[in-house]
Amino acid sequence: MPSAERFAGLQDKYAVEAATPTVRGFHAAIRGRVAERFAVSGLTWEEFVFNPEFELSTEDLAAVEAEMLGEGYRFDHSAQVSVTEQPDKYKAGAAKNGDEAEADHPDQLDGPLVVGHGDNVFATDGDIEGVAREISTLERVMEMLTEGVPKDTIAIIDDCGGTMTAPIIADFKGILCLAGTVRTHLAILSREYGIPCLMATELEGLREGDAVRIETTKKPRDITPEAMAAAATASGEQRATVWRLS
Amino acid sequence: MPTEHSYAQLLETNHLIRHASDSSLWLCRSRTAQESKLFPVPAYMILSYLECFYRYPDLIRRIDAAMPAEEIADRARETTTSLQQASLGWCLNNFFLLGRQLLIDMGMLRATDAVDDIVDVMDFWKRFQLSYHRADGHMTNGEMGNRAQIRSERTLQVFDADAIGMKPGDRLHTALGQFNATISQYAFLASCECRLQIHHDGPYKTADGELLIRSYQALAEGDFPWLDGVASGIEYPNLVVPMFLEDTHVYLLDDWGSFETQPALDADKVVRVGLYSSDYLSGGFIPVAMGSAAELADKLEELRDQFQEATTKLWRVFAGFSREQMLDSGALVYFAAVRDLAKIAGIYDQDEWWSIDQRTQRFKGLMNDEYGRDSLTELIALLTLPSQQDNDYVMGRHSDGAQHMESRIPYSVLADDDFTATIGAPRERWSSLTPKSGTWTTTQGRLTLEQLNAAARGAKLPLEDPALRYLDDVWIKWHADDPRADELYRAVQQGSSLEGAGAGLRQADLTARRAP
Repeated sequence: MPSAERFAGLQDKYAVEAATPTVRGFHAAIRGRVAERFAVSGLTWEEFVFNPEFELSTEDLAAVEAEMLGEGYRFDHSAQVSVTEQPDKYKAGAAKNGDEAEADHPDQLDGPLVVGHGDNVFATDGDIEGVAREISTLERVMEMLTEGVPKDTIAIIDDCGGTMTAPIIADFKGILCLAGTVRTHLAILSREYGIPCLMATELEGLREGDAVRIETTKKPRDITPEAMAAAATASGEQRATVWRLS
Repeated sequence: MPTEHSYAQLLETNHLIRHASDSSLWLCRSRTAQESKLFPVPAYMILSYLECFYRYPDLIRRIDAAMPAEEIADRARETTTSLQQASLGWCLNNFFLLGRQLLIDMGMLRATDAVDDIVDVMDFWKRFQLSYHRADGHMTNGEMGNRAQIRSERTLQVFDADAIGMKPGDRLHTALGQFNATISQYAFLASCECRLQIHHDGPYKTADGELLIRSYQALAEGDFPWLDGVASGIEYPNLVVPMFLEDTHVYLLDDWGSFETQPALDADKVVRVGLYSSDYLSGGFIPVAMGSAAELADKLEELRDQFQEATTKLWRVFAGFSREQMLDSGALVYFAAVRDLAKIAGIYDQDEWWSIDQRTQRFKGLMNDEYGRDSLTELIALLTLPSQQDNDYVMGRHSDGAQHMESRIPYSVLADDDFTATIGAPRERWSSLTPKSGTWTTTQGRLTLEQLNAAARGAKLPLEDPALRYLDDVWIKWHADDPRADELYRAVQQGSSLEGAGAGLRQADLTARRAP
């Protein structure tokens, strides 16, 4: 049930709590500060609301985040620069692709081993093969920009945006993106460049330098409104397969 | 004392708010997801919404006084500028309303606050949209069933007549594919991971299938401070690429200017193409290297190399940015999406559009990645903010839920004095970015800011002559033999293979001219 919290001096009949901890915490804290200031101002709301004398300051708003950090909360990060500049504010990074236990990555294969599935962006005449190389940091992009993208690189990218790999994307043989959909920016760019690409790829048991084959002959993920209404996510049969070859 | 707005005016404003709210939910839930490891995208988006709420009312009023919204749209429709369906049709109204919604949810604003600001912004948006979509008679692509038929017959005939044929595997076809890929990549990067520099309109019916018009904007040294030096080798401010498709139906072209086709667009299905430069000073569309297939292929290859070089330079610049610089650059790309309004009106001020108001700066301390992501998701997709909840019987459009993205104005403001009119004058502004120091690349050469505004005030399309402004395609249907019709068509046909042909041609005539 909603709390008796007041919004700008008014009670919200239909209020619920926000769904996520930061929004819930931040907005409630700001509402509380505004309410306190409004109460002591002795003004009507109309006299108060845009009055510079009573408005919340940079310090007031920064304190809202500081309180949450003070309670031990740490934030998820998405941009590399965020965690580089303020590592104490963010949670430690998740395990990277190459960190699987040995049991998940046998040295010897009897044949192609299925290591993942993803949504194919566009179909090619034949499946493609190449070498898996993780590209998840600006430093890795800079290295490849300086030294060149190794031949036959299948880029494993945990970012569906279209900017991190901007200067080197043209040299990829294929892309396995661990996020996004066939509509997101990286997918749009892969289609424009004609670089085979799977989006929302789930991988297990693949390491840096492994030889891989991608089922890019698979029919592309159907994104007509009818198909999307029928299934929010592609079924297993619609997903393209990734094999480890060595 | 109640507001002086009429009941009818508020009814219309609330209709426009609900239209924006409903159509945005469909777009936000079905069309995309945005993230980047380079830029803190959701955080800068939230920051931009706040800036748009605080800044747009003042800017819009001054622009409207210099040149009415509907006249600015006449210029935008007949050329290519940054004023497209995405920037004006979606960003202007929604960024403003989303900033307002966040502040309501934070308890810093009531739905009865800034009533004049809301009415004025929405009215400006409506007049621009109706004029921009004059040819198809709608306000948005969504209202037309996700289609954008904004061009007049005379412009489409020129594109149709001059397009150069190609086949899969030939040099022009290959060059076009590489050009589109490279310039798209550059555009995503220059706009800090948003798609505001790439836009489409159409489809238009042609003899061989459908015409999809792609435009790329803000490519050269101009407003973006980070393009000074980086884009010095790029000579075109905007480029327009009419692409003629066969056996492919563009079944959806949404209010963000992105499209989908059935079957999925295959580059092999692009059978003819053109290339034009255009801006609000050009008077229309200027052909680029369209003398022959070989000349066009040469130019596309040259442009590909220029944009690849600029992309590499620009990526290195952004890789060296601090987080605050990334926040500012992204937020300002969004906020300034509508800056060409001021340019066409001849009152553009670089500092005004590329710095952030003190009231918005306050919020930077909240803009960590998680708050950015979650507040954006709740605000535009989940609709789970307390302020978005409606009564228990409500079934919202596209969701069936009892929520709406953006709040309407209570009609109580017509009956009592519990409201405020405006958020007030702009405050002190600043940004962490290195200020722009270079010139602006236009179709009229490289100009200083002073020259830019003077050129805009002096520029005039034939259509903007009062004697011609209201002679639309409905009038043409009955007056194709009128000398004024010929005047309109001949103005667009300059430099085209149709030069001097006038208003009498039909599509079949163009097809016959193309026949071997």
